[in-house]
Amino acid sequence: MKAVSIPSGTNLTALYRELVGDYPKFFKMDTLSKLGFLLTEMLLQGTEGRFTPREDRAVLVFSRNGSLANDINYAKRMEDFPSPALFVYTLPNIVAGEISIRNKYEGETSAYVLENYDRQLIESIVREAFQDRITRDAIVAWIDCRSDSEWTAQAWIETK
Amino acid sequence: MENLINELKLKIIDALNLDGMTPEDIDNNAPLFGDEGLGLDSIDVLELIVLLERNYGIRLDSPSKGKEVFQSVAVMAKYVAENRTK
Repeated sequence: MKAVSIPSGTNLTALYRELVGDYPKFFKMDTLSKLGFLLTEMLLQGTEGRFTPREDRAVLVFSRNGSLANDINYAKRMEDFPSPALFVYTLPNIVAGEISIRNKYEGETSAYVLENYDRQLIESIVREAFQDRITRDAIVAWIDCRSDSEWTAQAWIETK
Repeated sequence: MENLINELKLKIIDALNLDGMTPEDIDNNAPLFGDEGLGLDSIDVLELIVLLERNYGIRLDSPSKGKEVFQSVAVMAKYVAENRTK
C-alpha cells in the first residue's frame, strides 16, 4: 500500500511549486485543504488516466481538529470584514471536495472528526464505504491541522 | 499604470488570502475568474467590490458592472484610474 505524508511545518507553497505550479486555486485554500491537495498529488502523480472522471473512488478524510485552524483565522478576520473567501473553508469536509474537484472524482466523499487517531475505526469506516455497488477503492487521509504550521498529514489508497 | 497594477495585485492577494502567491504569479491580462487565469469564483467578487470601495472610493452598483471591471488586473487598474475618488 503506497502511503505518503507531509511533515509538520513544511513550506506548502514551495511544495506546490515543485509538484504542480499550474493550479492557482491552491492559493485560495486553507491549510487543511492545501495538505489534502498536496498529499493526493504525491499519491497520484504519474498514474494513468488520472483526470478521467470516475465515481468508483471514494475520498475519506479523518482528523481530530477538523477546520479549527481556519475557523480561528476567520474569527480574527471577522473583527474587520467577515471574509467570504475564508468562510468557505470553515467546514472540515471542504478538503474532500477540493480533492474530488482536482481529480474529477464523482463518488463518495466524507469527512470524519474523531476523538483521536484510531486506525481500527478508520478501517471500519473504509469497509463501510465499500459496501455500496460503486466504490472500488478509496483515498484515505488523516489530516489533523492544529494550526497553519503544525499538523499531522498522511494519506494512502485502499482497495476493496 | 504599472504601479497601480502592482498595487492592485498586492491588495487582491491580501483581500483574498492568497497565501504564498506573489504579484509575479498574476498575469496582467489573464482572466481573474474561471480555470484559465487566477481561478477566482463568485464568492470572491464580494471581496473585490469591498476592496474597490475601501481603497479607491469606488462603488459598483450592479453585478454586471463587476463582470466588466473584474475581467483582468489590467482592466481593473484602468477602471480604478478613471473612477477613483481617493
